[in-house]
Amino acid sequence: MSSPKVIIISSEDERFPVDPKVAEKSVLIKNMINDLNPDGLTEDFEIPTPNVRANVLSKVLEWCEHHKNTTFHEEEDDDTKKTTPVEEWDKNFLKVDQEMLYDIIMAANYLNITPLMISGCKVVAEMIKSKSPEELRKTFNIVNDFTPEEEAAIRRENEWAEDR
Amino acid sequence: MSSPNSEDSNGSNSNASRTANKNSNSYQDYPMQNHYRYGDVQPEQEFFMDNEINDYKELKESIMKQRRASDLLQGHNHHFVDHNSLLRLPTEILLQIFHHLDRKDLFSLLTVCREFADLIIEILWFRPNMQNDVSFKKIKAIMELPRTQTHWDYRLFIKRLNLSFMTKLVDDNLLSLFIGCPKLERLTLVNCTKLSHTPITNVLQNCEKLQSIDLTGVTDIHDDIINALAKNCTRLQGLYAPGCGNVSEEAIINLLESCPMLKRVKFNNSNNITDRCILKMYENCVSLVEIDLHNCPNVTDKYLKSIFLDLSQLREFRISNATGITDKLFEYLPNEFYLEKLRIIDITGCNAITDKLVEKLVMCAPRLRNVVLSKCMQITDASLRALSQLGRSLHYIHLGHCVLITDFGVASLVRSCHRIQYIDLACCLQLTDWSLVELANLPKLRRIGLVKCSLVTDNGIIELVRRRGEQDCLERVHLSYCTNLTVGPIYLLLKNCPKLTHLSLTGITAFLRREITQYCRDPPPDFTEAQRNSFCVFSGHGVNQLRNHLNQAMEERAYHIEQGDIQALFQERRRRFMNGGGEMDEEEMNIWARGAGLGLLQQNVLQNNEIQDINREIFSEINGGRMAPDDMREHFQRIIRQRHHQRQELVQRGQSQTPTQVLQAHQFQRNPQNAPQIVQPAVFPNGEQSIPVINEDEDAEMEEPGLFPRQASS
Repeated sequence: MSSPKVIIISSEDERFPVDPKVAEKSVLIKNMINDLNPDGLTEDFEIPTPNVRANVLSKVLEWCEHHKNTTFHEEEDDDTKKTTPVEEWDKNFLKVDQEMLYDIIMAANYLNITPLMISGCKVVAEMIKSKSPEELRKTFNIVNDFTPEEEAAIRRENEWAEDR
Repeated sequence: MSSPNSEDSNGSNSNASRTANKNSNSYQDYPMQNHYRYGDVQPEQEFFMDNEINDYKELKESIMKQRRASDLLQGHNHHFVDHNSLLRLPTEILLQIFHHLDRKDLFSLLTVCREFADLIIEILWFRPNMQNDVSFKKIKAIMELPRTQTHWDYRLFIKRLNLSFMTKLVDDNLLSLFIGCPKLERLTLVNCTKLSHTPITNVLQNCEKLQSIDLTGVTDIHDDIINALAKNCTRLQGLYAPGCGNVSEEAIINLLESCPMLKRVKFNNSNNITDRCILKMYENCVSLVEIDLHNCPNVTDKYLKSIFLDLSQLREFRISNATGITDKLFEYLPNEFYLEKLRIIDITGCNAITDKLVEKLVMCAPRLRNVVLSKCMQITDASLRALSQLGRSLHYIHLGHCVLITDFGVASLVRSCHRIQYIDLACCLQLTDWSLVELANLPKLRRIGLVKCSLVTDNGIIELVRRRGEQDCLERVHLSYCTNLTVGPIYLLLKNCPKLTHLSLTGITAFLRREITQYCRDPPPDFTEAQRNSFCVFSGHGVNQLRNHLNQAMEERAYHIEQGDIQALFQERRRRFMNGGGEMDEEEMNIWARGAGLGLLQQNVLQNNEIQDINREIFSEINGGRMAPDDMREHFQRIIRQRHHQRQELVQRGQSQTPTQVLQAHQFQRNPQNAPQIVQPAVFPNGEQSIPVINEDEDAEMEEPGLFPRQASS
């Protein structure tokens, strides 16, 4: 008999059988497997993720598959974590439309796949950098709900943040 | 099966630990965190004084806590937003994204929409940037506006306030602008010397969340401040008030009674820190990890003994100049590994302690990293042998003025503790070049202090440099009042230590010449004329300039060697020397030396000819490289031994010598006594000091001359 699989079930009840090693990239899933199977997996194990859609789940699992042998530094120095650029594969992997990007980030957050969540956030941060407020609204489909007076006052009072 | 609730694993651990359980990270009663998932263990946090490292984490915790509270209150009103919009991401993720942006980008996001603004304004004002002139003044201008005239009352957002970067701009008026920041958690006023106690007291009104206050360098620390802390800030965990000499015993006791969560305390330079205070500390502040009592002479070991027994979480302990600290300090402790967490101990100038205390200490605290025993005059090599059992744990050792220690002690210490990065042996008058040879074996050594070790000679330095090799990691070298040193070895030191940022050579005749002192930094303003004249300290760029200068001089010299004339001279000298001598032509040598810009030769009139000759020889070996490394090593070792014998002979023969030798012996004995005393340098735990403290340079802080030796009378 082949080794037992972890079967992750999307919100549409679509089933994604994967190797435990791939599934365990999600700390949430890993903890569930360990807690509910203290003697190790002996048969297939189902995990429903009712808030993750199939198209998103398949993307997330693609990432897990690719990184199944990657070791991520757990508690890296916060500053290095903050400044290291997104690795090339992740960058290409995350070249998706905004809706998908946010879905992936949220799924990674829910499933507790920190490196994927952080890569996603860094990609969004890159989209924000060096843009004016108006450009930002356009890029992210946000409506300005400030009056011009309010906006001017806020900018004036926080001008110090612009320096350096 | 249902997906796990992210909250159930952490639900019980916050308030349950509010009892005085000293080993858990008690008093952080944040409710459970969303991001602590099923099965995650909340890491134990150590409490530090204000630093920026934890800003993001703490900011996130506080914002998430706040948002959850308001969600509960208003119900979750997640109005529908476009799937394409950034706004649909939860706060937690938005914070993660913003974490990767700098302030300028946050400023652009600030006015995009209200939802972002509400979040970003908290991030920006969490720790208003007072680090440079421009933003300092802009923030000041905003704070000067009536709080109803600004879009937000920014005081409500400030949680970290650090005014230590622009201390010249910080006066009572400036600090008064920050009265009424109810959420203030960290207040850092390091070196804000202009402040009086009134605005500090006022800022503390209603700051019930204050966790730490750093008053290092504040001069007017008054009972009012301490009482205001006791009244308002009962959650205080860190208090640095080194200049608390005017604070009464009653105020200190009041504070210790009111602030049971204290973890780090620093009370220095006070006669009012008494055993009553220590008893109160012992009874009331069971979470202490750092106790700093530098220069609190009235403290004895009476209750400290109990503190060491019962507060086994203690990490750092410092005291100095307290005659009541005796070998009994650790007497309650069992003879075993007991002080598991103790990493830093500083017992400076407590003359009652002996090797016994050190032996017990090492037994109970084998993980010690920093040990300071300077000016403990009874310490001998036995202590060093005990300390050698710390092995790789020991990184930092200060034994200045421990006049009884010898090369043997240093050798046994250094051979076992090869991770030492910092060693200070100032005024250990018995040390010789042998200690330098031992120090050469410390691969991580960054700082050497040998001020007034007057037996140290050129050969010791040369041997140190040669053994440590090129690209050495040394950063700070203190050799002031090592009166026998000359230029050459220092040139080699500079050449092989590219990271050197500090070199002190005060009071050494060979360096007190214009072409060298032109690169030395200015003496402190309070120095007397005599002190100014002998001041010779290089730091930062000055070190590089000195290196370049000597390099250039040496290159010119190499040119002469290549031309063959100097080489011929050496040969001739050597031949004559081997044949038993005859007078040598000093004049010719000196003409060349002056031409090469080196003081190496012409100032050596005080030294005997053999030494001079040997020095030259070493130089030509090092520059010319004719010997194989092994030969060279043997050769130099012979030289060092020979030199040492000569010195001893000289000392023994004393006054009945030729004028040259008498002069030399005289200089050699006299200078140590005239040299000023060295004041204890600051000890930085973990190197995690984020605030620029005024750089305390050992050479810059000198007492009046003529105080040494003290131990004879005490």
